[in-house]
Amino acid sequence: MDFSSSVASQLHAGTILPEGIVIITLMTILVGDLIFGRSSSRWLPYVAMFGLFNSIVALFFQWNNPNAIAFLGSFSGDNLSIVFRGIVVLSAMVTIPMSIRYIQQSGTSLAEFIAIMLTATTGGMFLCGANELTMVFISLEMLSISSYLMTGYMKRDPRSNEAALKYLLIGAASSAIFLYGMSLLYGLSGGETNLNIIATKITAINGTQSLGLAISLVFIIAGIAFKISAVPFHQWTPDVYEGSPTPVVAFLSVGSKAAGFALAIRLLVTAFGSMTEQWHFIFTALAILSMVLGNVVALAQTSIKRMLAYSSIAQAGFVMIGLIAGTDNGYSSMIFYLFIYLFMNLGAFTCIILFSLRTGTDQISEYAGLYQKDPLLTLCLSICLLSLGGIPPMAGFFGKIYLFWAGWQAGLYGLVLLGLITSVISIYYYIRVVKMMVVKEPQEMSESVKNYPAINWKLAGMRPLQASLIFATVVTSLAGILSNPLFTLSANSVNSTPILRSAIITQEITQSTIQVSSVEDLIN
Amino acid sequence: MNSGIDLQGSFIQTLQDFGLPIGLAKAVWLPLPMLLMIVGATVGVLVVVWLERKISAAAQQRIGPEYAGPLGVLQPVADGIKLVFKEDVIPAKADPWLFTMGPVLVVVPVFLSYLIVPFGQNLVVTDLNVGIFLWISLSSIAPIGLLMAGYASNNKYSLLGGLRAAAQSISYEIPLALSVLAIVMMSNSLSTVDIVAQQSGYGILGWNIWRQPVGFIIFWIAALAECERLPFDLPEAEEELVAGYQTEYAGMKFALFYLGSYVNLVLSALVFAVLYLGGWEFFIPLDRLADWIGVAETTPWLQVLTASLGIVMTLIKAYFLVFIAVLLRWTVPRVRIDQLLDLGWKFLLPVSLANLLITAALKLSFPMAFGG
Amino acid sequence: MNLAEGVQIVSFGILAVMMIGTALGVVLLPKIVHSAFLLAGVFISISGLYILLNADFVAAAQILVYVGAVNVLILFAIMLVNKQEDYVELPGRTIRKVATGVVCFGLFALLGTMVLATPWSLSTTSPSVVDNTVIALGEHFFSDYLLPFELASVLLLMAMVGAIILARRDLIPESMADENTVTTGLTLPERPRELARLGSEEQDS
Repeated sequence: MDFSSSVASQLHAGTILPEGIVIITLMTILVGDLIFGRSSSRWLPYVAMFGLFNSIVALFFQWNNPNAIAFLGSFSGDNLSIVFRGIVVLSAMVTIPMSIRYIQQSGTSLAEFIAIMLTATTGGMFLCGANELTMVFISLEMLSISSYLMTGYMKRDPRSNEAALKYLLIGAASSAIFLYGMSLLYGLSGGETNLNIIATKITAINGTQSLGLAISLVFIIAGIAFKISAVPFHQWTPDVYEGSPTPVVAFLSVGSKAAGFALAIRLLVTAFGSMTEQWHFIFTALAILSMVLGNVVALAQTSIKRMLAYSSIAQAGFVMIGLIAGTDNGYSSMIFYLFIYLFMNLGAFTCIILFSLRTGTDQISEYAGLYQKDPLLTLCLSICLLSLGGIPPMAGFFGKIYLFWAGWQAGLYGLVLLGLITSVISIYYYIRVVKMMVVKEPQEMSESVKNYPAINWKLAGMRPLQASLIFATVVTSLAGILSNPLFTLSANSVNSTPILRSAIITQEITQSTIQVSSVEDLIN
Repeated sequence: MNSGIDLQGSFIQTLQDFGLPIGLAKAVWLPLPMLLMIVGATVGVLVVVWLERKISAAAQQRIGPEYAGPLGVLQPVADGIKLVFKEDVIPAKADPWLFTMGPVLVVVPVFLSYLIVPFGQNLVVTDLNVGIFLWISLSSIAPIGLLMAGYASNNKYSLLGGLRAAAQSISYEIPLALSVLAIVMMSNSLSTVDIVAQQSGYGILGWNIWRQPVGFIIFWIAALAECERLPFDLPEAEEELVAGYQTEYAGMKFALFYLGSYVNLVLSALVFAVLYLGGWEFFIPLDRLADWIGVAETTPWLQVLTASLGIVMTLIKAYFLVFIAVLLRWTVPRVRIDQLLDLGWKFLLPVSLANLLITAALKLSFPMAFGG
Repeated sequence: MNLAEGVQIVSFGILAVMMIGTALGVVLLPKIVHSAFLLAGVFISISGLYILLNADFVAAAQILVYVGAVNVLILFAIMLVNKQEDYVELPGRTIRKVATGVVCFGLFALLGTMVLATPWSLSTTSPSVVDNTVIALGEHFFSDYLLPFELASVLLLMAMVGAIILARRDLIPESMADENTVTTGLTLPERPRELARLGSEEQDS
């Protein structure tokens, strides 16, 4: 057999079918826009949503794929990656309907925006399954570069330009640091790029401890922490969230973050399996800082987008508890929480988009008395914010409970207690907005609410926005009570993923040996 | 395959026979081809300058230079001597370092590219694996020098000229590389020697020009643009920019620019000859001819004959192309800058991409004729 | 030591000095144009190091991409920005510089210690075994690095689309031409630059 056919037989190219569908959709949109011109913006978003939906269907049929490792080890299509890819696609699918009206009203071209968003989605999906350093970097860059482009998409708005420039500069610096860490990993493993091989080679060559490995770990975590905007790598978040178009922020806060967590799990568990204690320690520090700083600074914000930026930093801190727990329940609670976070955060952002489309402002004080003019918007925003704060019976409550329970089980008492305290703080600033909207008397209404335009859902692009709003709200309010399928899904995905299995088993072994040795110490 | 004469091997062998250690013998050999190449390139420039003057004169029904030497052949030498002895002026507000470095950066890569020009199976300074790719990448350094010269002169015409030169060079690099890629695909190698070897065996019928009719036109247009020859001499268009990036230069530094542009022209012609006109190959396959006459390939006098014929053939082909370039200068009007960029990006780029695709398809369908 | 090894060591020394010198120049020189030109020097020295490592194709590609494209783009950007701005000394500039220097030196010391302390595992295949790097690269691109290689094309496509979006001028349709924009002979027809105001008027429905 010659070279090409022998390679082709080992590729298992079907594993990337979902990504392939997204890429085909992307091409359709670019070419369709080219051929049909501006009039195509009527149907292009629906094509994109249809493509993303097909991609989810394809993901569904990939469950328990026997040929999970595709492209000679470059890409892993195991169930963990399927779940995370699902989160990324879903976030893009909910984001697109809410962006139609926003983009049209700002007078920019819709087709390119959707195309860039689909590229970001593709990048995020590949990042979730990337099993090799080159692949990790290319997909990370794909996600990042399209994020920069989307951030600066409103190029006539100086705030958007500023946000894009800041994001680009900090992002490029963090990519460079990440790349340096990866190059150390490449050198320490003797020139390997596949994560699994790196793990075995590194333990074989360096033992478990080495300064090079530690530095590489720190650099790689710095890169990941930038992506998931954990303190102290969060400085870009508030400015970027405030300046960039709101649909972009919605996608960044969910899709990009989920991809970052997937990367964290895969890279740290596989390649740094021998340094579990060290990265748990670093992530504990990041989680503490994120939860405290995110929640405390959010109290002082006056713009709702900035407030949600800090809230997203804090939420990343909560999710990290699951990562640090390192148990089955820890990982599956992460996935569960990310799913719920997707809907509640996107729901909140949809409400903000709707409000700013009608009034043109993002100030929290301008929401005063909204209840009397727009009850539906008030209801949805309240539900989503309360869910983000973790008030029962919203979905967010169950997500947080599961996370904290998993953390408690793994013995992270301090971290869980801190999480509980900071989420009480967070409830304050979420409720402040709700109170602003609901409680104020008619004479206390803000100017923009007084001039609130008549509610008109018939404008172009408003129907999809409404649909996405109601969908997100319904899921947010019901997913908590009917959480069993989601719960099973996340537990199954963790249970059937080989890399997590081996990692958890080795961890249990080390823990039991520690216990045994401590028992022996006692005896002696 | 006839390997031709091996100058390096025999030279080192001779030195060793005199009792020199092999390392020293190699060290003595190393600078020789390089020096030869530099001298050859410079002499080549003198010839081209004379040709340019004579052909231009003929095209305009003048006589051209005739007093300096027979038929004016010493005129370029006189030009050169004049430039060497001129005062070296650096404008008052110019950036002296960049002003000096600019011409150097333009000339050095062009001379370096002579490394890969073959005049015979072994008559090449080095036969690199990346051969022709080295030429493409080295030629991309020149715009930096031009930008440097344009910026350092502290003159708006110079800056505009430098920017134009860089834009032009980048735009035409892509079609140039793509048309070279089509050749490389047929030869399965980037090495210039392999590219010529792949065209050998059938005399003039085997040359790539028949298999790449579109590619060679693209290559020629792009090469003219890279050399900033008319109709693409926008960076120094006299009517608009005085003399572009050369405006403030005088003396030796100007001579370097002058030298660089002609060396580049000769180099492009040589590369064209190698890529499309069969390099050192004669019009009829010489080794078959030798077979018919009954002379063995390894006969010394035959080897010397084929080697010298190879050098002569390469030079004849190259100078024929230089002749065409000079003729084009007086027959085609200069394009505007927007026309230039439109031609590069909107016409040459798609056509060369299509050419590449078609070549790939033909290679798969007819592996015999297109180097399977 | 034979001739080849001697030449290699000497060239490595020259390249290393050249690279570090130009890189320091990029960072320390006050004029941005000088920094940009020295950046080309850094790239060329790196390419020289690649040649010493027998990676001839990568070396040529390095020159083509970084010197021929990236650096020229940087220079273009610098030369097209027509902004005269006087350099203002920041207060406390010395302290900043010293602090930066200390941080950089500390990082350098840390990394230097790490490089020296780590038992690097050298690749077992000698680079001279690969006689044609182009073929070896091609085989990798179409086997184990196929996916990143193909994915890079999507990335580049989108980067190109994005660059065009950011750089293009939005042309006004005839009907929407605003009468109060001042047009001179030199301004291209373009929409007036104003903030994207959301929610103010519902002109299209």
